[in-house]
Amino acid sequence: MLQFIARRLLEALVVVFLALTVVFALQFLAGDPVKLFLPTDTTQKEIEEFRERLGFNDPWIVQYARFLRGAFRGDFGNSLRQQEPALALVLLRLPATLSLSGVAMLLALTIAIPVGVISAARRNSWFDHLGIGATVLGQAIPGFWLGLMLIYVFSVWLRVLPTGGRGTWLHFIMPSITLAAFVAARFARLTRSMMLDVLGQDYIRTARAKGLAPLRVLYKHALKNASLPIVTLLALQLGQLLGGAVITETIFAWPGVGRFLVQALLNRDFPVVLVGVFLTAVLYSALNLVADMAYAWLNPRIRYE
Amino acid sequence: MRGTALALLIALLLGLVGNAPAPTAAQDRPLVVALGAEPRSLMAMRIVDWTTNVQQMNIYDRLYYWDGFPPRIKPSLAAELPQTPDDLTWIIKLRPGVKFHNGEPFGAEAVKFTFEWLLDPRNESHYRPRFAFIESMEVLDPLTLRIRTKEPAPIMRYWLVDFTVMAPGYVRSVGNVEASRNPIGAGPYKFVRWDRDERLVLEANPGYWNKPPAIKRVEFRFIPDFSARLASLLAGEADIVKDVPPVAVDQVTRSGLAEVRGVASSRINYLALVNFKPGPLQDRRVRQALNYAVNVDEIVTNLFKGRATRIPGALSSINENVNPNLKPYPFDPERAVRLIKEAGYDPTKLEFTLDSPSGRYPLDKEASEAIASYLGRIGIRVRVVVNEWGTHLDKIINRRTGEMFYLGWGPALEAQGTIAELFRPERTYSGFGTPNLTLEINKAIPIVDLKKRQAAWHLIQVMLYTEAPWIFLWQQHDLYGVNKRVKWEPHPAEKIFLHDAEWVRR
Amino acid sequence: MSSAAATLARAVPGPRPARRRLPLNRSGALGLIVVVLVVGAAALAPVITPYGPADSDLVKTLQSPSRAHWMGTDQLGRDLFTRILYGARVSLAIGLVTVGVSGVIGLFVGLISGYLGGLTDAVLMRLVDVQLSFPFILLALVVNAILGIGLQNIILTLIITGWVVYARLVRGEVLALKTLDYVEAARALGAQQMRIVLRHLLPNLWTPVIILSSLQVAQFIVAEAAISFLGFGVQPPMASWGNMLNEGKTYIYNAWWMTTFPGVALVLTALGVNLVGDWLRDTLDPRLGP
Repeated sequence: MLQFIARRLLEALVVVFLALTVVFALQFLAGDPVKLFLPTDTTQKEIEEFRERLGFNDPWIVQYARFLRGAFRGDFGNSLRQQEPALALVLLRLPATLSLSGVAMLLALTIAIPVGVISAARRNSWFDHLGIGATVLGQAIPGFWLGLMLIYVFSVWLRVLPTGGRGTWLHFIMPSITLAAFVAARFARLTRSMMLDVLGQDYIRTARAKGLAPLRVLYKHALKNASLPIVTLLALQLGQLLGGAVITETIFAWPGVGRFLVQALLNRDFPVVLVGVFLTAVLYSALNLVADMAYAWLNPRIRYE
Repeated sequence: MRGTALALLIALLLGLVGNAPAPTAAQDRPLVVALGAEPRSLMAMRIVDWTTNVQQMNIYDRLYYWDGFPPRIKPSLAAELPQTPDDLTWIIKLRPGVKFHNGEPFGAEAVKFTFEWLLDPRNESHYRPRFAFIESMEVLDPLTLRIRTKEPAPIMRYWLVDFTVMAPGYVRSVGNVEASRNPIGAGPYKFVRWDRDERLVLEANPGYWNKPPAIKRVEFRFIPDFSARLASLLAGEADIVKDVPPVAVDQVTRSGLAEVRGVASSRINYLALVNFKPGPLQDRRVRQALNYAVNVDEIVTNLFKGRATRIPGALSSINENVNPNLKPYPFDPERAVRLIKEAGYDPTKLEFTLDSPSGRYPLDKEASEAIASYLGRIGIRVRVVVNEWGTHLDKIINRRTGEMFYLGWGPALEAQGTIAELFRPERTYSGFGTPNLTLEINKAIPIVDLKKRQAAWHLIQVMLYTEAPWIFLWQQHDLYGVNKRVKWEPHPAEKIFLHDAEWVRR
Repeated sequence: MSSAAATLARAVPGPRPARRRLPLNRSGALGLIVVVLVVGAAALAPVITPYGPADSDLVKTLQSPSRAHWMGTDQLGRDLFTRILYGARVSLAIGLVTVGVSGVIGLFVGLISGYLGGLTDAVLMRLVDVQLSFPFILLALVVNAILGIGLQNIILTLIITGWVVYARLVRGEVLALKTLDYVEAARALGAQQMRIVLRHLLPNLWTPVIILSSLQVAQFIVAEAAISFLGFGVQPPMASWGNMLNEGKTYIYNAWWMTTFPGVALVLTALGVNLVGDWLRDTLDPRLGP
C-alpha cells in the first residue's frame, strides 16, 4: 500500500514537472508579453529596459533554471500585468472555484444517481425513456447557451435571481445548474449502464431470491458495486472543473480560477498561467490518487499493481 | 469517513445560506458601476490602463482634468493651470487645505514624492518614460512646485492631466505592497474593500476639498462578459455600464429602467494602410482610392446606427489641435477605380489582407468585414483576418500584419500623442511614415507657444489628409447604459469620476 | 494510468462476436434521420439557398425572420438560414476530421502502450496524464496564441484533446484481451507480434472505438462552439454555429433569432449524433461506459 502511494506520488511529480515544462516552452512561441502590458507610447529602448529587468533577455536555459528553482520553493514570480506574486493571485480565486464546483457536483450527483438507478431498475419504462431523453439533451446543450438563457429568463425577465457575482446562496443557483447539466447527464448515463450490468449478475439475483427488500438490494448491493467507475468519473470531472468552468465563470461573473487563467493567457501573463497549470496538474494527480484509493476501499478485490 | 464528508458538505451549504446579507434601504444602496475587469493595481501612477485609471481617480483625485465640451484642461488638486516662465521651467501651484484620507496634508512635497516614486525604476511605473525629460524639482513653498526639464517639453501640460498623487508619509511607512492593497489618496472616495475579480468598494470622503460626494457608497463590479453586463443593467443590479452596442440601445430604452447616454469619445478608429512594404499601397493614389471606395457614412448609419462620428483626418473633432478645414473623402467608387488605374494597377487584380481585432473597439470585426465588402465591389479582394487582441497587438508591434489593419487610438485630446506616436517611422501602430512628415513632426514637438504649435499641427494634418495613410473612419461613441435614478453624464475623456454623480430626487 | 481509469474506460472485459445484427429502435431511427438531414443540408447548401454565406447587405441588417430570410439576417445583413447550412459543413468537418485523426493516434498509442507494457506504457501514460491535467479551454487558447485563429487550429486543439480518450480506452481493452486464453496461447506458441496484434487484438477493438467515436463527434461539435463562443473560432466570413452564437450573443436581447437558430441547430445535431451513438452502444455492447 505505502509502496503504491509512493510510486503514484512519484508519477504525479513527473506529470506536474512535464506539464510545467511544456507550458514554459510554449510561452516563447506565444509572442512578446512585455509589449502587451506596457502602454502603447513606450519606446523600443524603454521596452528593452523592461525586458532586461524582468530577465527576458537571458538565454532560455537560464530562464528555465531560474523558473524551476523558484517553482520548487513555491515562487512563480510576479504577475506581469498586476505586479503581485502570481501564486497568491491564483490562490485568492481558488475558494470561489472550489465552492462552485462542489455545489455543482453535489447537485449533479443528487439528480443523476437516483435517475440512473431508477432508470436501470425499471428499464424501458416511461421513466427510463424520459430520463434518457433528458440526459441526451443535457449532454447536447452547450453550457454557455444554457447560461445566457437562464440569465435572460430568471434575471432580466422575471428578476428573481441575480445575474452574476457572488454573495448569497441565490448567486449559486444559475451557475451551478449550468455547470451541473452536462455533468449530471454523464453521471446518470454512467450510473444507468453500470447498474444494468450489475443487476444482471448472479449475486444480485441471489440476494433477490433470498427475499431482501428490492430497494435494499438496489442501493446496498448493486449501487456499491456499480460505484467504482462513478468515483473515477467524479475525480476526472472535478479536475476538469478547476480550469474548465471558464465559460460559466465568465458568463456569471464568478471570481474563479478559470476565468482568471483565461484572462492571464490572453494577456500573455505567463507567470499566472504557469501557476494555473501547476495547480491543475497537482489537483488532477491528487484526485486520481484519491479515486484509486476509494476504489480499493469500495472493492477490496482490487490489488495494487 | 463518508459521514464526515457529508457533514462537511452540509456545513458548506449552510454557510452559503448564512451569507445572505440583510436587505438594505434604497438610500443606502451603493451606486454600482459594472466594468469588464478589475484594476491592475491600486497604486497611483503605476499603470497606464483605462480600467485601472478610471477607478483610481476616484480614490486619488488628480492635478488636472479634462472638463466640459469641447474638453478643456481644468485644475482639480492644482490651484491653477501650470505656468511656464521659460521653455524649460514649469510652476505648479496647488490647492490649499487639501488633506489625504489619513489626515496627512497634501502639497508640493506630495507631488514631488509622487514624481520621484514613478521615476524610480524599481517601482516599474509605466509613467517613467513619459516624464523622462525631468531635470530637477524644487519645492518653492508648501503649495508650489517648480520643475525643470532637460529639453522643451510642451507635452507636459497634457501628461499632468489625470496625474494622481500619493500620500508620501503613508507610502514611506507601509511600503508599496500595503499601499497598493490599502490605498490612501485625497480623492472624493475612500477605499473600503477590494474583492478580487468581484468588486471594489468605496465610501464617500466627507473631508473632500470640494463639496462632499452626493453618493455615499460606490461599488465597481467586474463583469467580463458583455451580455452579462447588459443583463445586470436590465435587471437593475448595475447603475452604470459601459459599451452598450448601438443596436441594443432600443432594448435598454424599452426596459423603462435605464437609458443609454452617449458621448462622442476622443478615441478614434482607423484602418491603417501599411506603406513600409513594397506594393501598391506605397502609391499615394491607391491609398486615396481606398478612401473613395468605402462608403463610411453608410457604415456609420447602418452598422453603428449613427453612434459614431466620421472624421476627415487623423484627429477627432474634439481634439484641441484639430484642423477644422478638412472635409472627409466622398464616396466615389468610379474615381477610386480611375485613381488605381492611373497608378498602374488593375483593381480586380489587387489582393490585400486586413487584420482586425474582435471586440476591442465597438463593432470592430463587423466594420472590417463591411470595409472588405466595399472594396470587393470595385474588384479588390480583401481577406479579413480576425485576431485575438494579444495576437493583433503582437502582429502590429512586430510589423507582421497584412497590408491593412484596424486599430483604435485614444484618449486623444491633443495632437502630439496621436500624430507623433503614429506617424514616425519607428512607430508601428500605424505603419506609415515619410521623411517629410517626420521632419515636420520633429519640428512641431518642441514648440511651446500655443499659437505656433497649433499652426504646425494644422499643417501636418493637411499633409496627412493628402497622403491618406489610413482609410479615415470615425471617432467612436461611448455608449453608457445608465439607470434612470442616477444623474451622471459621460464625458469624451472617458472618465468615470463619481463625484459628478447624484441620485435623482423623487 | 490508474487501475481505476482503465476500468472506467472498459467496464467488463470479454470477447465479442465480430458481427452482429443492428436492430433499429425508435430513438436510433430518430438520430439517424437527424444526422442524414444535417449531412444533406451541408452537402446541398448551395442548391437549397439562393444566398452566399458571406453576402452582406448593410441595408438589411438584423431583420427578423421573413419569407425572404427564413431565419432572419445578422448584423451584416447576411442570411442566417444560409449561414446555418454552411455552418453545418464546418461542424461536420470538425466532427469527422478530429474523430478520425485522434482515433487513429489514440488507437496506435493505446495498442503500443497496452501490448508492450513496461517502460513504454509508463512513458505514454504519463503523456496522457499531462494532457488530461490540462484544461481543454486553456489548451485551445494556447494553440490560438501561438498559431492564431482558424479552423485548422481548432481541429488541432481537438485532436490534441481527443486522442487521449482513445488511448486510454484501447489500452484498457488490450490489457483485458491479453489475458484471454487464445491470445496467451498464441503468444506461447511464438506467434509473430504483428500477427497477434493484427489478427487477435485489432478486430476486437473496432466495436468500442466506433462507439466511442460516435459519442466523441457530438462532443467535438459542441467543443468547437465553446471555443468559438469565446471568440477564437473560425475566421470570418466563414460560418460556424459556434461563431454565429458568439456574434449573436451581442444581439441576444434584440435579435433573438441570431442565437436561437444556431443554438437549435447545434443541440439537434448533437442530439442526433448522440442518439446514434447510444443506439450503436446499446446494440453492440450495452455494458460499455460513456
